[in-house]
Parts: sequence; structure tokens; C-alpha cells
Amino acid sequence: MSDYQAILDQVAEIIRDIFDEYEGPVTMETTANDVAQWDSLSHVRLMVMIEMELGVHFSTSEMQSFKNLGDLVRASAKQKA
Amino acid sequence: MIKERFLWRPPLAENWADRLAAVEALLSSGQEPDYIALKTLANQRLGMREHLRMERLAQKVKKQALMPQGFAPITLGLLGSRTLSFLRGPLAAAGLARGLDISALEAPYDSVASYAYSPVDCFGQPLDALLVIIDETAISGQRVILDHEAEKAALAEAAELVMALAAAAREKSGCRAIFATLPGSDQISSSDLATPGSMARFRQRFNLLLADGAQEGKWLLWDQAALADRVGLDAWLDPVRYHAAKTPFSVDACPLAADNIAALLAAMKGKAARGLVLDLDNTLWGGVIGDDGLAGIRLGQNSPEGEAFVAFQNFVLSLRNRGVVLAVCSKNADDIAREPFRAHSEMVIKENHIAVFQANWSDKATNIKTIAETLSLGLESLAFVDDNSAERERVRQELPLVSTIEVGDDPSFFIQRISHSGLFDHLPLNQEDIARAESYGGRAAAAEIRARIGNYENYLTSLSMRMSIAPFNGAGRSRITQLINKSNQFNLTTRRYEEEEVREFEENPEVIGWQVGLEDKFARHGMIGVVIVRKEDTAWTIDSWLQSCRVLERGVEQCVMNALFESAAAAGIEQIRSTYIPTDRNAMVADFYPRLGFPAGDDQTDGSVHYSCAVADYVPHRTFIEIYQAG
Repeated sequence: MSDYQAILDQVAEIIRDIFDEYEGPVTMETTANDVAQWDSLSHVRLMVMIEMELGVHFSTSEMQSFKNLGDLVRASAKQKA
Repeated sequence: MIKERFLWRPPLAENWADRLAAVEALLSSGQEPDYIALKTLANQRLGMREHLRMERLAQKVKKQALMPQGFAPITLGLLGSRTLSFLRGPLAAAGLARGLDISALEAPYDSVASYAYSPVDCFGQPLDALLVIIDETAISGQRVILDHEAEKAALAEAAELVMALAAAAREKSGCRAIFATLPGSDQISSSDLATPGSMARFRQRFNLLLADGAQEGKWLLWDQAALADRVGLDAWLDPVRYHAAKTPFSVDACPLAADNIAALLAAMKGKAARGLVLDLDNTLWGGVIGDDGLAGIRLGQNSPEGEAFVAFQNFVLSLRNRGVVLAVCSKNADDIAREPFRAHSEMVIKENHIAVFQANWSDKATNIKTIAETLSLGLESLAFVDDNSAERERVRQELPLVSTIEVGDDPSFFIQRISHSGLFDHLPLNQEDIARAESYGGRAAAAEIRARIGNYENYLTSLSMRMSIAPFNGAGRSRITQLINKSNQFNLTTRRYEEEEVREFEENPEVIGWQVGLEDKFARHGMIGVVIVRKEDTAWTIDSWLQSCRVLERGVEQCVMNALFESAAAAGIEQIRSTYIPTDRNAMVADFYPRLGFPAGDDQTDGSVHYSCAVADYVPHRTFIEIYQAG
């Protein structure tokens, strides 16, 4: 879990950067629906920036399967392990 | 992932975030930010996150209608067969770095055909330019391999679409179309280009078709393919995002692509650089000419560093051939700085390629300002190249409008950094563009002459020149002989004497031989003149008068002539006679004696001219040289 927390912290930082108007919590359960600015365009940028900052790469099917930030964090942790 | 991060821009300032916050605070209070502050904020080596912040800032400035004056507004339509939304933010930010206020409007997804062929105008407003980025899958469907006819038909269809788009841009949006070339894609075989029906072959032919149309002035070209080559196709293309987000190229390439497009738009708006200001030592050659001398500097000669400088000079000359004006700004004595241009066999750039030559000990910012004024160019039209990071930093501080390119200190990278900067991007050239560098040269020369009339005397005074006039002697003999036998241009009679004859002059009481030396606050020029006079009872005759061309227009001859007439008066002489013998090399002194105050001469049948001036009539010239050792 602490692994997940470290990755989530990094992701949260990027999310605050991209969605500068969002002031709610960033948790494993956060989804695009929670953030007003999170549209399809910014979603792609978010993915690109997470890939760059975390040094991971998501496959086409992986990206489709993410239901919330938790899925994304777990997929990243798996790659980094 | 794209590795390159705007290497030609200055490194990210430590206080970048603070400066950004300052501009944001200004905006929050409804105040307009400063043009230079905003431009320099954008024109740094930004990372992905800084780019994001810069885009957001650009957005805010636009939304609040607080764009500072100076940013050239440009409304750009984006039309593509895939989504171009990811370019909009980066285009606004990239524009700020180049003095442009770019508003990008994106056509609805996949509306290429409807814009081209239907009466509907998806933009609904005039544009300044329409950027069309077509994906090759959209114009080149599957074809049977080796079917020549099918390839021809596909190309004709693509040509028709391009022509229709260019016409629609003109009629619907009142602007020119800019077509993106097609970047490469993964090939199956080395023979793809030789295989009719292959994508590789279609792409090449289509790109040439676009290029030909651009050359004919039908539209403009954004060479996406060249940028993709530079970045590397593996980094340029992102197959996951291509399918997931319909992007034509990798999203993290967008800042770079936007900057590349902005460079083209800047050229369109007349915001590209027109002049290149060059440092000399360690920029055009290796080493310091003042210390290492002509033989010591590294240029060519098969040394790796020397060859890199030659390659760079060739590159600079190719810029000039495209109409870029060249200027020199160097901390050096003028004569010494010019020496390699005149005497180094490996110099590619010659003196006549340089429109303004500022070699002195003043600071570079002042000199660059003088260059801009002399060329009647704005500071923003100048780019500055210097290997020394401290000098670059100082010029950036003092003249933030000048584009100081971060070339680094390794000459091998100069070409890359300058061409990647896109500062010299231009539209398809015409003959007029090419002639521009020449005409600037002429204008600069005229301006220099104007400046000279006003300030020439001040200039001469500021040189603190000191002259020695000494009779011929053993110490000077070999240099005297050399000057007598080598000087062609500033030589009134071109009479040659051997060293032995020079030795005889030393002892002959009927002959005056003067060797003239000069130094100024910058340099000791050594012996720069020789005068030989033959004495008679009441008249002296100037047998030879010659000077080195290194120190022209300094008042040397006036000073020596004054000294000669003084000596003649002291010796009770009535007349001084002289002769000009023309050769094919010495036209520059054809009017020497009249200029020095002699009455009009008598033309001889052999073409020479004889002069005579009464000593009593001679009016001494005003001089700016102190004589410290009169003969």
C-alpha cells in the first residue's frame, strides 16, 4: 500500500497541475467525473504526463480498462516492480 | 518520448516560477503585462510542466484581452483528418516566445472534405492562415501493389483535394493554406520506394507535389516530415495515442511542433530574424586572434575543431545567400580582427560578406545597438551568436529583444542550434530576397560614411595615435625593402629598390629616406610608410611615397607631408616636386597630391603626372597624430 501511496502522491501532483481549478481530494477512488476540467483532451495529456513522470507506459487496452485512479496506480506499480 | 527540449533557448531561469507568478498577479489585478516579460518567460527551455503553465498563462492573457502591444495577432485555422486539439494550447504558448499572439481555431473532426468541397464554412470567420495536416491514410487508401495506374490515380485525387483546399482557404477564409508534408512511417522493405502502390512512394511523390505548389506560390509548406526526421520517427509517432486519441503525432511532441509552426508564422508576419551578429574568437575560428596570431588560430587544416569552424562558416554563408545580413561584434582591435578575413586561406567568410564590422573594446550590447541602427533594423530582427555564455547572458540582460541563441561552446553544434531555432525560417524565396543581404551591405556602407563625416575627427582623436618618422637605418632596412617591393596600391611611383640600394640611401647625403611607424591605443602597427626624397639646391623631388594599406584614412599622409614641408622650409628649399605613375594597381592614389594640397599637375605623354608645390604656399593639414620621433 505504501508503494501505491507514493505513486498516488506523484499522480496527485500532476493532477493539480493539469486541473488547476480542482480543489477536491485526490484518492484511489477519484474518477474523471469528479473533476470538472477532466475532459477527453486533458485526459490524454494527463496520461502522457504520468507516463513521462513515472517512467511507465500503458498499453492501448490498459488505458481503456482504467475505472479510477486506483487502477492506474496499480498498473504503474506493477510496471515499476 | 521526445528527448530534445528547445536546446537553442536559454536554460530555464531559477526564478522562472516567481516571474510567472508575477505576471499572473498582474493579470489578476487587470493590468497588462510587459511585452518583454511575457516573451522571455515563454522563450526558455521549458519542461512539460512549465509548458502546461505557459499555455494556461497565454489562455488567461487572451481571455482577459490583456495581450501586450507588440505581439502580432494571427488567427490560424486548423484542419486535419485527425484531432489537432492538442496543438491549440502549445501554439498559443509558442507564439508568445516569437512575438506572436496566435489564436488557433480547430475545424470539427474530419471535416477536410467538407471544407474543400461543400459550401459550408466550418470556421465562419476570416483567418490569417489555414494549416492543413492531412493523414496519409485519409488520402491514400489501400492499393494493389505494383499497380502504376492506381498510384497515378491516387496522386491525382490527392492533388485535386489540395487544390480545392487552397481555393477554399482563399474563398471561404480569405487566406493562404499551409500544407503539412507527410512524415515517414514504418516500412516493410528497403524497396518500398521502388514499389509502386507503397505508402513510402506515395508519400514522397505527394510531398514533392506540395513543394512544387509552394514554390509556385499557390500555398505555403509546413515541413512536418523534416521535423519528424529530426526528432526521430519512433519518438514522433505514438501508435497508442494514434488509435486512442486520434492524434497524428505524439502528444509530447506538440510543444516542439507548435514552435516549428510558430517559426513559419513568424516568417509570414515578418518577425523572423533578418540579421545575424557574430562573435569572432572561438565562434568563427578557434583561439584568440589577438593572442594566437594568424598562424595560431584553429581554422580548417584538418584539425577536427578547425574543420568544425569551417563548416560553421559555410553554414553562415548559406544564410547570407538566403538574404540574411551578417554583422560582426567582437572585442578586438579592428585591424587585428580583420586580419583572418584578409589573410587566412581557410576563411570562408570574407570582409565583403560582413555588412557591419564592429570590432572594438566597448561592450557588446552597445555594439549590437550600433549594428541595428546602421542597418536600420529593429533589435528584434537580430540574432546573436557567441560561444561565451557570459557574453550571451549579458546581451540577454541588456537587449532582451535580440535573439541570443544558446549555441553552447562546441562549434560542432553551432549549425544545429541555429537551424533548430527556426529564427531564420522563411517563405519560398525569390530573387529579391536573395539580393537583400547585398543591398543591406550598400546601405550600411552609406550609413558608415554619413557617420564618418560627423564623427571622423572624434574617432581619430580617440585613437590616440603616435607616429615615429626616422631616417633609414640598419634596423629598418629589411622591412623598408619589403615595403618598397611589396606595396602596390598605396604606392605613387612603384619604384623597386634592392636591399643594397636601400643601404646606399642611408649613406647618401643627397637622399632623404624616411621610415614611418604608427601605434594607437589598440595596437603597434609597426612600420607603415616609406618616403624617399632626392635633394637638389632649391628643390626636393619625391622619388617614392608608399604606405601600408593596414592604416588607411588615419591622416598618416597628411602628417608626413606636413613634416616634409617643415623640413624643406627649414632647409631653405623653394619647391617640392612629385610624380604619380599610374599602374593597374594604384588607382587609389591617383588624386593623392591634389588631395594633399599640390596645385594641378602636368599630364605627361606616358600617362604619369608631374606636380610641383611652392614651400611658401603649402598650408599644413590638420592632423590627429602626435609625432614622437621626428627625423
